[in-house]
Amino acid sequence: MKCLRTFTLACGVSVAGMLAVPAMAATLDIAVEQSPSGLDPHIVTAFSSFQIIDGTVYEGLTALDAGLNIVPGLATDWQISEDKKTYTFTLREGVQFHGGGTMTSADVAASLNRVLAETTGSPLASRLAAVESIETPDEQTVVLNLSAPSAPLLSSLTSIAIVPAKYEGDTESLQRAPDGTGPFTFVSWQPDVAITLEANADYWQEGKPELDGVVFNIVPEAATRQVGLTSGQYQMLPNIDGVTAQQFQGRPGVKLQDTLELAYSLIGINVTRPPFDNEKVREAINYAINRDDIVAAALFGAGVPGGPLSPALTNYATPVSEFPCFSTSADTARQLIEEAGVETPIEATLLVLPRDSTRGIAQVVQQQLAAVGIEVTLDIPEIGKFVQDWRNSDFDMFVSLNSGTIEPDDYFYRTFRSGGSTNVFQYSNEDLDALLDAGRQETDTEQRQQIYADVQEELACDGPVAFLSYGQLYTAMRENVEGYTISPNRSMRSLADTSIAE
Amino acid sequence: MVLLRRLRGRLIDLAIVMFGVSILVFGFIRMIPGDAVAIMLGANAEVTEERIDAIRNRLGLDLPIHEQYLDWLSKVLRGDFGVSIWTGKPVIEEIGNHVWPTLQLTFLALLTAIVLAIPLGILMARIRGRRGEAFVQAGSVIGLTVPPFWLGIIMILLLSTLAPSLQMLGYVPFSEDPIGNIQRLLLPAFALSLPIMANLARLLRSTLLEALQQDYIRTARAKGVPARRILYRHALRNAIIPFVTSVGIMAGYLLGGAIVIEQVFAIPGLGRLILGAIAERNYPLLQAAILLVTCCFVLVNFLVDVIYTVIDPRISE
Repeated sequence: MKCLRTFTLACGVSVAGMLAVPAMAATLDIAVEQSPSGLDPHIVTAFSSFQIIDGTVYEGLTALDAGLNIVPGLATDWQISEDKKTYTFTLREGVQFHGGGTMTSADVAASLNRVLAETTGSPLASRLAAVESIETPDEQTVVLNLSAPSAPLLSSLTSIAIVPAKYEGDTESLQRAPDGTGPFTFVSWQPDVAITLEANADYWQEGKPELDGVVFNIVPEAATRQVGLTSGQYQMLPNIDGVTAQQFQGRPGVKLQDTLELAYSLIGINVTRPPFDNEKVREAINYAINRDDIVAAALFGAGVPGGPLSPALTNYATPVSEFPCFSTSADTARQLIEEAGVETPIEATLLVLPRDSTRGIAQVVQQQLAAVGIEVTLDIPEIGKFVQDWRNSDFDMFVSLNSGTIEPDDYFYRTFRSGGSTNVFQYSNEDLDALLDAGRQETDTEQRQQIYADVQEELACDGPVAFLSYGQLYTAMRENVEGYTISPNRSMRSLADTSIAE
Repeated sequence: MVLLRRLRGRLIDLAIVMFGVSILVFGFIRMIPGDAVAIMLGANAEVTEERIDAIRNRLGLDLPIHEQYLDWLSKVLRGDFGVSIWTGKPVIEEIGNHVWPTLQLTFLALLTAIVLAIPLGILMARIRGRRGEAFVQAGSVIGLTVPPFWLGIIMILLLSTLAPSLQMLGYVPFSEDPIGNIQRLLLPAFALSLPIMANLARLLRSTLLEALQQDYIRTARAKGVPARRILYRHALRNAIIPFVTSVGIMAGYLLGGAIVIEQVFAIPGLGRLILGAIAERNYPLLQAAILLVTCCFVLVNFLVDVIYTVIDPRISE
């Protein structure tokens, strides 16, 4: 009985403690779904890492503003030679690395060389493929000599972090303890708990950041993240989908920001497997699909039907109304299959990325295809299996989400060029290859627009992908969080401008 | 002497069980398609086959599985459990960081279950055949069948509406903030303890009722021993032995339940570590963690054995 009394007392004390209101602090508590897979900006590829370090801990020579325009970053300006093959960057003065030391051209050269080195194995290396040599005539100047003109170079440089030169041959240290020039410095990473950043007192932009620090709490359970935001324990849930965002509509104390995402959902088709090697069958799939229904049913209206490029790239994206196959017609689809001389029903397996939104899309697609005689079985594996099958091109068709950037070359080159590193469809089209090579080298904007209009036309209807939709991306935050702007590429660099009102 | 002999027997058991488990874990996790490297690189990475092979080679994943196993085993026997594939930290350190929340959570849950189950069990035995019995019985069935993770989510939802300023998610070490620590663990510990509490209470009820039928109770009654004394001194002492056995078994199951509860309440414990390690195919981490859990399970069973001997001297004979 005595121990019962002690227990009751202990409960009482704890409940009293629980009711104490936490003190207000200018530290922003963010809840994220996944642990990052490392923090080395030149090695990691996952969004879970990218959103934590991009523009917060690390910066590149160039940067993106809220309107996705390229603006000066660690370089204040740059000159491009007549033949478009020499870029001369002038570096910002007095920029300090978090670990100490002033940034010079040697650090920039070392960072770029680090990305290019085989031993680093950086997935970003292909973005610098055109760089032939790097010169550092003085401490504030970096010259990049290219083998051919490269239109995407300035955009690529936004995502290539500048790190101290001492890490050039070191592929271990930065994974655990990042060291950059950004508005926040790295404090600690407790696995499965949190990653803590604090304000960089020596930051080169006066008055930034306004926050004392940022904590990325790792909270894998969706319901827990939502309750944490509602109760105020977390102040921000970044980069959530439309369905989750709906749950916050009208919640007191919570506000939402949204933007059209650069990533797109797609049906990928293995063009080496009959009958999908026949382009008429692929075109039939496009006609069979009703993209409006997909957006309505699987994305709950939070998105738009979309073609090869995100409509957010207003300079380049061709309106979907110009692609005939985007108008749904089961009759046309059946007719195309008949013209292809293929027996129906066509039986195939649809490999599905294990995410809520893609699962929903796959179910809608399954029904729509069945109506034209394509019977698909859904295969929804665990993520590791999905990645392996995807990488080995071991699928008839798959439904997934592909990332995008502000640069059309990033959308297309690696994915659709013959032998491209993510061309898992094993697609090969000489005309398209020529266009993609030209697009990469063409620096005149109007010419580029024409090239990418042709690329989109080439891909839209009988390519290896049925482009489905671009989702609306949301960030939910407490009402007193100010100054944050959601970015279509999921970067959280605007944390530098964020503050918490009392 | 008996204790020593039993201890030696248990240690041999432990070694055999852990050897078997190590082979099973090693085999099963590698039978799941998709390896650590594929998952690390994800579905959007621009990488060449050469790079993938280089990483695999660096991690020793390109060797035949039996060579990988022998290499691992020989290192483990020398006390080297390897480093986490993802963070590069020694797995012992990672496990060390995650073991306290789980120990604290399961201990608190077990304590809650025992402390509440004893009075509940006694109450249930005493009201047998009286009004209210059906009510209490129904309550215990609900306690038994409600999944802890569901209860956890419901409690989080309710409390976030009733007391929005409550900090109840995540974990802070006791040494940093004792109140915050207990405050965050109470709800998950309660959710985790509920089915076990119900189970133990029902068990105690039935063993108690059985004990009360025994001859020695009748004798005691005839001698005029007060009813309270009969219940607590005579019947309870005999009824508690199966209870203690069950506590031992339950403690093992608690570890299983903790995996899910830790996920719901964002507690960075061993369960989260194991789930993450499976998802990431973080082989060295997973292997070491599973061995640790197995070891705990066997040790708890040993402890239960010891406690028996103390409660009921007949067992040691």
